[in-house]
Amino acid sequence: MRRSRAARAATLAAALVLAGCASRGPQLAPVAASGLPASVELESTPFFPQQDYQCGPAALATVLVASGAQVSPDDLVSEVYLPGRKGSLQAELVAAARSRGRLPYLLPPSLDDLLAQLAAGDPVLVLQKTGAGPWPGWHYAVVIGYDASRDRLVLRSGTESRLEMSATHFRATWDRADRWAMTVLEPGRLPARADFGRYMEAAAGLEAVSRLDDAERAYRAAALHWPDESLPRLALANTALARGDEAAAERELRAALSLAPDDVAARNNLAEVLRSMGCPESARREISTATRLAADGPLAAAVASTQRRIDASSGPDGPGCPAD
Amino acid sequence: MRNRFVIYFVCLAMLNLGSPLVAQAELIGTLQAVEASTRAQDLATVSSALARDQVRAQFVAFGVDPAQVETRVAALTDSELRTLAGKIAEAPSGADALAVIGIVFVVLLILEMVGVIDIFKKFP
Repeated sequence: MRRSRAARAATLAAALVLAGCASRGPQLAPVAASGLPASVELESTPFFPQQDYQCGPAALATVLVASGAQVSPDDLVSEVYLPGRKGSLQAELVAAARSRGRLPYLLPPSLDDLLAQLAAGDPVLVLQKTGAGPWPGWHYAVVIGYDASRDRLVLRSGTESRLEMSATHFRATWDRADRWAMTVLEPGRLPARADFGRYMEAAAGLEAVSRLDDAERAYRAAALHWPDESLPRLALANTALARGDEAAAERELRAALSLAPDDVAARNNLAEVLRSMGCPESARREISTATRLAADGPLAAAVASTQRRIDASSGPDGPGCPAD
Repeated sequence: MRNRFVIYFVCLAMLNLGSPLVAQAELIGTLQAVEASTRAQDLATVSSALARDQVRAQFVAFGVDPAQVETRVAALTDSELRTLAGKIAEAPSGADALAVIGIVFVVLLILEMVGVIDIFKKFP
């Protein structure tokens, strides 16, 4: 008797919880409105069952191989596994993707962007938070498809080669991991719904770790896709300079400044290039504009350092310097 | 003796000539430009060099093979290093959902034993 009352209470509680879930409605319904196919499954995505706590290396290998890289989870363990945490850090998955010549694009935190990337043919690595309170559990898995009519997602997850999960359940775990999602692209390809800032940050990461060819391919794609933005031009100038091609760099920087005359970084770098090309007078002109534009902003210290260096090189412009 | 000194001096001077000038410290890198336009405020909080040292120390503390530490630190960008510095202990690290499934099992077992639910008896 006592038991059945408790059971009834439990059933009631469960019903309330379920009602709470149900009231959120289907998660994937807006798919049709955004012009995506009703269902997608990237069946050719490889599957690497995770070993021990190594879902990071397994999930990363899954997306890397799907993007055409040759790698196995075992190769990645020494790059991304953190024994003391029995897991992998997001930043290290990003870094390891770069080391394999891929552009690690972090998607905007929206289910719609995730589905659009799947529809474009790229599996998406996600972080999920399971567990609760003092027992948080983090898990990396790869979303490989969805079915809007059944409101379900398909994942390669842990030791399951094909895990179907209700979109509501997925959202509950993904939301709690701040909707972290990464896709890895061959440099030169743009994400399905490319966000300019996120894309450029990913591409600049390739430059920052000296993968110049990969960075340059990514920047060229950006310059084509966002012809009105000055940043891809500045970026192409930086890769040209890293290869020692000052003439190409000057061309790109002037292109950047014709798009955005107030671009402090482009103005500063042009000044430095002119100084290095033996045109101190032109350099002084550019750096004084940069100093005025930088004001007290985040680049002020860098501009001041360029200014000091240019002030140290006196004299008139040599032959071949820009007239003005 | 004096001759040898002169030779050393000339050699040193030549070495100096051959070395490149400071590696273009005055150029603003693309990542720096991106950061300046997106989140200017964190730039000043931790210096990149300090962040690099902290992450290196934490990698060692969390059991990364010492032979791998430098490579792994070098693979991270300055902004990633600043984000991670001092926070590796709390940062999410995908591990395994199995622990959670285990906890759910234990909770169900306790509920079963105190008689709140009756699911395990169906499987003799």
